[in-house]
Amino acid sequence: MMVINRQAWEKPVSIAPLITFRIAFGLLMFFSTLRFWWRGWVDTVYVSPSFHFTYWGFDWVQPLGKPGMYLIFSIIALSALMIAAGLFYRLAAVLFFICFTYVELIDVTTYLNHYYFISLVAFLMIWLPASRLYSIDVLLKPGSKRQYVPAWTVGVLRFQIAVVYFFAGLAKLNTDWLINAQPMKTWLPAKSHIPFVGEWLYKEWVAYLFSWFGAVYDLFIVFFLLNKRTRIWAYCFVLIFHIATAIFFPGIGLFPYVMIVSSLIFFSGTFHERLLSLLPAKKMSDGLSATYTFTRKKWLYGIMIVYVFLQCIIPFRFLLYPDLLFWNEEGYRFSWRVMLMEKAGAAYFTVKDKTGKQYYEVNNAEFLTPLQEKMMSTQPDMILKYAHFLANTYEKRGIAQPQVFGEVYVTLNGAGSRLFIDSSVNLAAQSFSWKHYNWILPYKTKK
Amino acid sequence: MKRSFVLGTLIVLALTAGTYCSKSGNDGGDKDSGYDKEAMLTNYADQIILPAYTSLQEKVNSFQALANTFLDTRNTTNQQALLDAYKQLHLQYARVEAYNFGPAAAAALDVYVNFNGGLDYNFNTNGELTGFSIDSTTIESNISSGNYNLSLYVRSSFYAQGFAAINYIFFGTNAIAKFDNNTTNRVKYAKDIVTRLKTLVDKVNSDWTAYRTDFISNTKTNVGSPIGNMINNLAYSLDVLKGPRIGWPFGKQSNGIVFPTKVEAYFAGNSSALAQESIRSLKKIFTGNGSGKGITDYLKSLKKEDLANQVTAQFDAVITKLEAVPDPLSATLTAQPAKVEEAYKEIQKLLTLIKTDVASATGVQITFMDNDGD
Repeated sequence: MMVINRQAWEKPVSIAPLITFRIAFGLLMFFSTLRFWWRGWVDTVYVSPSFHFTYWGFDWVQPLGKPGMYLIFSIIALSALMIAAGLFYRLAAVLFFICFTYVELIDVTTYLNHYYFISLVAFLMIWLPASRLYSIDVLLKPGSKRQYVPAWTVGVLRFQIAVVYFFAGLAKLNTDWLINAQPMKTWLPAKSHIPFVGEWLYKEWVAYLFSWFGAVYDLFIVFFLLNKRTRIWAYCFVLIFHIATAIFFPGIGLFPYVMIVSSLIFFSGTFHERLLSLLPAKKMSDGLSATYTFTRKKWLYGIMIVYVFLQCIIPFRFLLYPDLLFWNEEGYRFSWRVMLMEKAGAAYFTVKDKTGKQYYEVNNAEFLTPLQEKMMSTQPDMILKYAHFLANTYEKRGIAQPQVFGEVYVTLNGAGSRLFIDSSVNLAAQSFSWKHYNWILPYKTKK
Repeated sequence: MKRSFVLGTLIVLALTAGTYCSKSGNDGGDKDSGYDKEAMLTNYADQIILPAYTSLQEKVNSFQALANTFLDTRNTTNQQALLDAYKQLHLQYARVEAYNFGPAAAAALDVYVNFNGGLDYNFNTNGELTGFSIDSTTIESNISSGNYNLSLYVRSSFYAQGFAAINYIFFGTNAIAKFDNNTTNRVKYAKDIVTRLKTLVDKVNSDWTAYRTDFISNTKTNVGSPIGNMINNLAYSLDVLKGPRIGWPFGKQSNGIVFPTKVEAYFAGNSSALAQESIRSLKKIFTGNGSGKGITDYLKSLKKEDLANQVTAQFDAVITKLEAVPDPLSATLTAQPAKVEEAYKEIQKLLTLIKTDVASATGVQITFMDNDGD
């Protein structure tokens, strides 16, 4: 995808795209944090739940209680503003990355692709010289102004966006999406309240149009954004596509705005210079036309090469697992699979003592929030995590060596609900693994 | 090359659209032509929900009149007449409890009138009131002190009023004799809990007049939307049926240890009848009472006729199995456990269908949180 040619990589280009990106990203993150706070989600997601689905290997990541969580969100909001303003930029970027990623690691329930994207971009931003113009930093230290940066600093952000789109497009190349127009066929009729187009949403061909347009858009938009002649039109498509997504699927949250803002990075340095010249900040931009040079290049290039390599292969890890990806969701996360399937489940657990004579049905609502229960019911690794938690909890309640059994039913893309996992398997005895979980029933088996 | 690619894409898109256009045309337009959700919601409001609330109000009024008669002249004849009226009232409540949104949610009708202990509460907590328990301790202390506030939003307040308290005060063991002690306070408390019930029901009734407009015009399916509310409350009511109403007193959470006194309306002794009425009214909601403007018909318009039929049949299966569970449920739990078990299994199957297939097909969401596809 990228030509690794050191000279092209280091060619000085205008710093302007990085500057716009920094300001827009910082502001968007600031408002996104306020929105999260405003809606009471800090409490409902990170304070009130008594149990969290931590990521495997990250069990040590625990929430900090009410004051602690609000402090963390304050730091996120503040560091986002500092990024936008370019005040103590590197420190702000590090703080933002650490705090944001920490919050995301607390609970798998709230995993969203664009939160992952934000973590990744925040990581990249740490290394990029994005505050060397139009920033408070350069007011404090005018000598640090730079007009040019090595091309790869802009390139790596473009690469990241390309990865999001391209893999999102690849993920749509499946039978359900293209041939059955699922889940669009399910989701669109639920949107019939939308003015003007509402009545059309019951029509099958509209679902096909949405599906195919979405797939083609995701697969190819980056190429048209990269090409100078098509760029402006491609960006119009970016606007249309994401605004439409925001209207049709408001539940998706900030994703459309993140992509609209991020895709600006594809515009030329001249474009961004003109854009930035609209800012009343002459003092922050005037100066020598110096180029930013990295110290410890080898080290940094190493990091970037590994990063790019991982980004290219992680989304493919699902190939290592058998059966239908949408069903077993092994290798599903961190792979830019957005709005791809309609899945719902109902999970009933029974705890038995080691002899199997005593049995206790579990009331999920006692331990999980509705959102946690919904997410757990369709995702095997979360089911396993919960089963282990249940074993612990019931052991504390006096049941010796508890066994945990799950009767879980799942419907995928409108196909009738059926048993999801083997209900005769003691989940408490199953361990976490990168390998395929054999206790997931194959998708084909009709109940 | 790029141009030919664009051209190619456009051709593919046009062909796809064209194929499916003509296909849906051939199928006979009706299938594809959409569904009038506003008409569906209007039907729910005017034919099902509002009449049910009006009837509830009437039954509260006649219950209050008979309660006053009983409190004036406390004898078994008046008590029996009151019990009959109470059963009618509670059965009518079972017909509205699934509308636990809008005005009813704002008034917290469900917790003040018929508290089930909360689904998120551990039923087996030792020494605590859970499920449909009757809190005689708090009620008696309220009566003797004469100092209580029924508007408090706490568990002890929920347990001290509503149907559980009515059960205890009017129909509990030695209910009539207990009025001889501290009569003034006891009569006052009895009147207060009836008045409280009436105030809540009146409020929900009058609030629905204004809410009706919002209800029928909001055809979204997100959280808090009427369609979302109806489906989510179907699932919630089934959860209550599976848990506090049947399963938990039956010992499902407690290694088979039965809690006979924690059944709904323990002293009136019509728990099974209430469960049956509850599931019948849920079926009525699901099918729109056979009006052709129900959730079933919406599913049919989405080409989910099989699902609509499957779920309707499962409702019938649950109704049949529950009808085989005789009252008083408190005795049946231990006398005929097999019958309760059968009903329980069918309830779980129905709950599964509603939570998975029906929720999926109607695009209903359960939380406000951002979501990028399940």
